[in-house]
Amino acid sequence: MLAVFLVYTSIAGGTPQLRPSELNGRTTEVALVGKVVGRVTGDARGNGLRFRLRDVEGTSAVPVVYRGSVPDMFRTGRDISLKGELKNGTFVGKPGTLVTKCPSKYTDKKQS
Amino acid sequence: MPDLGRAALVVCLGLAVYAVVAGAFAARSRRRRLAESAENAILASFLAALVASGVLLTALLRHDFSFVYVWRHTSLELPRPYTVSAFWGGQEGSLLLWLLVLTGFSAAAVLLGRRSAPSLLAWTVPVLGAVTVFFSFLLVAVASPFATQAAPADGLGLNPSLQNPYMLAHPPFLYLGFVGLTIPFAFAMGALLARRSDELWVVITRRWTLVAWMLLGFGQLLGAHWAYVEVGWGGYFAWDPVENAALMPWLAATAFLHSVMIQEKRGMLKIWNILLVVGAFALALFGTFLTRSGILSSIHSFTESSIGPWFLGFIGVVVAGSTALIVSRLPLLRSKTRLESPVSREATFLYNNLLLVAFCLTILWGVAYPILTEALRGEPVTVGPPYYNFFLKAFGLPLLILMGIGPLIAWRRASLRGLGRIFAWPLGAAVLSGVVLLALGAGSSIPGLVGYTFCVFVLASIVLEFVRGTRARQALSGGSWAGAFAQLVGRNRRRYGGYVVHASIVLLAIGVIGSSAYDTTREQRLQPGESIAVRDYTLTYRGTTQERGPNAVELRALVDVERDGERLGTMRPGKNSYLAEQQVSNESAIRSDRLNGEDLFLIAEQLEPGGPVFLKALVKPLVNLIWLAGFVFVGGALIALWPDAREQRRLALRYGRHEALARA
Repeated sequence: MLAVFLVYTSIAGGTPQLRPSELNGRTTEVALVGKVVGRVTGDARGNGLRFRLRDVEGTSAVPVVYRGSVPDMFRTGRDISLKGELKNGTFVGKPGTLVTKCPSKYTDKKQS
Repeated sequence: MPDLGRAALVVCLGLAVYAVVAGAFAARSRRRRLAESAENAILASFLAALVASGVLLTALLRHDFSFVYVWRHTSLELPRPYTVSAFWGGQEGSLLLWLLVLTGFSAAAVLLGRRSAPSLLAWTVPVLGAVTVFFSFLLVAVASPFATQAAPADGLGLNPSLQNPYMLAHPPFLYLGFVGLTIPFAFAMGALLARRSDELWVVITRRWTLVAWMLLGFGQLLGAHWAYVEVGWGGYFAWDPVENAALMPWLAATAFLHSVMIQEKRGMLKIWNILLVVGAFALALFGTFLTRSGILSSIHSFTESSIGPWFLGFIGVVVAGSTALIVSRLPLLRSKTRLESPVSREATFLYNNLLLVAFCLTILWGVAYPILTEALRGEPVTVGPPYYNFFLKAFGLPLLILMGIGPLIAWRRASLRGLGRIFAWPLGAAVLSGVVLLALGAGSSIPGLVGYTFCVFVLASIVLEFVRGTRARQALSGGSWAGAFAQLVGRNRRRYGGYVVHASIVLLAIGVIGSSAYDTTREQRLQPGESIAVRDYTLTYRGTTQERGPNAVELRALVDVERDGERLGTMRPGKNSYLAEQQVSNESAIRSDRLNGEDLFLIAEQLEPGGPVFLKALVKPLVNLIWLAGFVFVGGALIALWPDAREQRRLALRYGRHEALARA
């Protein structure tokens, strides 16, 4: 039983979680974790929301385009994670995968 | 004030250390008086925790911002109920709540145990004390809720999404459940330390486990309902690490509740039961650790905090210590009876246990996967809902069918021919309903169809059990059917309470399958006046309204709802812009149909006054059965819990002899 699910997880695979500085031109699907910096432009339901994602602690950043639903807490300065892949230097998000992490000021466990 | 709180915590720590040292010495050297004094230290530690909690609560209510904790989690304009709930809104406060509940439960266990199992108590007290030492030490030395500062004018406030009635009840329920699992753990360890091989600890802690398990289960459903109503993505469970953290101990406790029945009836599975109770307790600690340590990121917020390593260390101590103890007592734990047939009541219990534990381990694997892969490969890899959903089907569906088979099958050895006779009705009902559902178009989801036929099978076998029992009771004592039914349930509370809980799990399954396998989602941008159709609903966007609420601007889309030409009303999804916190929160609109349990769920995105709206509409059939299941679940658990004088007498007869021997 144990063996079955070990095999399953390694085949079906999970998604690697990376920081922008770790992308290094990798073009497979990953979950990108970072901080939203600069201006957020565009339209999540039209051509796509555009912003830059930077390492939470660091300086390297990557441009991101994302379509789909956006959590209430999303805005510049927030830590977020989203799945997607790198295409021509831009990280293209998968719809519905954008998740915000909460500011550490709120230490409660249940938040969205 | 803060000094009183700090002093109370130090006293609590001192009392707990005394309970461990004096209690262990007394148990070893069989000193009755000293053992009693260790018990009293447990009782007194509850009073100390009560004083500390009283100080924090007073500071919260008085808006005393010289307490860092109060400043960080409340503000002057925060409504009174949420000022109280800020007690468990932060890390230090929630640890204090843990300690308060822990010492309260321990004191109750000591008082009750003095009457029912004095001989077992001697070694249980030091175990309870040791857990208390850990939590009071954390509060004294690592995460004090009584840190002070020069008082600022106002506090930082509480996150709007926590300003919700569910947040008053959901965390305390989970804590009560988590902490409640300490008591069966302590009694199990107490029995092992005392070198006892009988089932007394199982009997003594049955109600403790049931209560903890009931609160944990209900607390999780409250959380799910909060997510559904308030978070507004249209779901209620997302396999988030923190949700999993509460689910795992519940699954382990469910397995434990079933397998102890085998130990009670047949004296089997002794080692397994102890492993399960250790597992449930360790998972409850792990759950608290996950929510409080910042090791995993999830949609729930975590703080990087200093208590993580302490928790991990304590979990390590608990697991290593109990394993060593179990190994050293192995000869005592050998069971005298063996499984006689793979087709018997005990065997189905065993299958149920294997499935529950396997499911629990898969979740644990999924939760720990990012940590493991980071350690091994240097980058964390996460597994998502598809992984968990696969195993939910792989283990959940067999569990469902076992729930129908187990209760009807005979103990020890059942004949296959007998089985055919017993299961004729439920099988017939299941096959028939499968055909009907297929004709109605349920074939669009094969797991859904299989799940529903299983549900019918289980419900039919439960109803059959009630009918058969009532008939037998009525034949025996005459009287009315209703009277016979009440007698039946009243005299076999554990059994029929259990069936009611089973029925609630079936309701839950029906709700989960309906809302996940047969749901419909449509999303589209609409100009005022335009409509879309979802299933048999027609939705027309009429425009927007904007109002100024007490602390937010409330913008709403007006959506007219029609079904088959009949107007059902106007729904108002939209968003609130909170002024003070500068935050926007989505306010979804839900219309529940009381007749068929279906919800129409609307989310309005990209809404601007007078402009177009991006409307997302979800139809979730039968979703309301999930919430109904919560009440049935609690009802069934309460029936199984209710004190039964007849059972007490039987137990007193059975264990009275042991107690007399132990006291001599």
